[in-house]
Amino acid sequence: MIVKEWCMYCGECAGVCPRNLIEVRELSLRFKEEGCKDCQICIQICPVNALKK
Amino acid sequence: MQRLSDLHPDMSCERLKKIRECFLMLVVDILVIGAGPAGSSAAKHAALNGAEVLIIDKKSEIGAPKRCAEGVSKEGLSELGIEPNPRWITKELSGVRMVSPNGTDVILDEDKVKLPEAGYILERKVFDKFMAMDAARAGAQIMVKTLATGLERDGDRVIVSAEHMDHDFEIQAKIIIAADGPESRVGRWAGLKTGTKPKNMESCAQFEMVNVEMAEPDCIEFYFGSVAPGGYAWIFPKGDDIANVGLGILNTLTEKTAYQHLLEFVDKNPATQNAQPVELNIGGDPVGGVIKDLVTDNVLVVGDAAGMVNPLTGGGITSGMIGGRIAGEIAARAIKNESWSAKDLKDYKKRCQDEVGQSFKKYLKAKEYLLNLSDEELDSIAEAFQKTDFDVINTSELIKKLIKVSPKALLKLGKIF
Repeated sequence: MIVKEWCMYCGECAGVCPRNLIEVRELSLRFKEEGCKDCQICIQICPVNALKK
Repeated sequence: MQRLSDLHPDMSCERLKKIRECFLMLVVDILVIGAGPAGSSAAKHAALNGAEVLIIDKKSEIGAPKRCAEGVSKEGLSELGIEPNPRWITKELSGVRMVSPNGTDVILDEDKVKLPEAGYILERKVFDKFMAMDAARAGAQIMVKTLATGLERDGDRVIVSAEHMDHDFEIQAKIIIAADGPESRVGRWAGLKTGTKPKNMESCAQFEMVNVEMAEPDCIEFYFGSVAPGGYAWIFPKGDDIANVGLGILNTLTEKTAYQHLLEFVDKNPATQNAQPVELNIGGDPVGGVIKDLVTDNVLVVGDAAGMVNPLTGGGITSGMIGGRIAGEIAARAIKNESWSAKDLKDYKKRCQDEVGQSFKKYLKAKEYLLNLSDEELDSIAEAFQKTDFDVINTSELIKKLIKVSPKALLKLGKIF
């Protein structure tokens, strides 16, 4: 997952990730890519379009 | 193992040194993860009831950045026994202005119609810190810039993996209170279904703006219809010419992001033609109602993580804090009784349903009804209500009037009010 520079680390993507794979830190995001099923819900929900596959 | 209480009361560099030395494992009765209003309320009430409490928060500054429009009801604060403080209140409100898509407005006087989140506008960055300070004064310890990274069970205890600056360490607790907001990861680590479906996650964007020219500067304003699909837009005054201007949408109903909708709203709204942003806030708001299972062995979930958010308004400060208070009291009681299984904690679920969840069911129905209305129907309703004297109308008359202009209301609202 590519996290764009303008991500604001709000955590909305983490809240909807059905596999609980996104860790939101104060100033970074970490994805556990190995468990990802490519549903892309995180990309769709981002309020500022900051995530890209 | 080092007990957290051994680190007290010295707050000097010596304390920091001790923390570093014993960072392999901290041991506490109750660990609260997240220092928002719900977490701080839980920590405060757990500490007041005699438990040894540690709060951790991943941020370096509690309350920042804000993720909310900052509205709170007077009744909610009063119910929590919190005295309004001018250091965290920016504006006292006298009413609510609701605006339909064609600009027709209905003004409700706060003295005549009680509406949630319509009493004060807070300065959340200050309010959240004050609530955490209250918890600390009650005896809770606080660690900021401390991130929970995992959870596992160890007999009848729970071990939480955590990071503070460049230190990895563990915290052993008898009870975890998960107050980690809409991300809500901790509950899921414990096996609870705290994740939010996209259809229940309101995606929000907000500017704090200056030079805002509001029609009714003592009212909070709500704008309904296609301006914010699945939600509403708002202008919440913060005194002088300052206001929070934002909106929440459901991504399942629009191709645009919340931020794109916000730019359009600000571009078109008469109040913001000369306004300039001084802050941008974004975030998710779980509006699907209180989750079914709030407890499991060793773990209670509170606040946004538990869906303690009014499904209609998206407000969750006082409801989360009420949930926090209940969680703190029940967790402390479990510590005293030396038993913290799901069975020992189950009263939490019942009390939350009674004190928070029941009213949310009504609001959820009302929201479903509102989501089904077209812009034209919203305009018709606003026009009908514009001529209503709310001084003399009661709830059943209100519903009768609504059904007259919108027959859908009979189906959706007739049985719940």
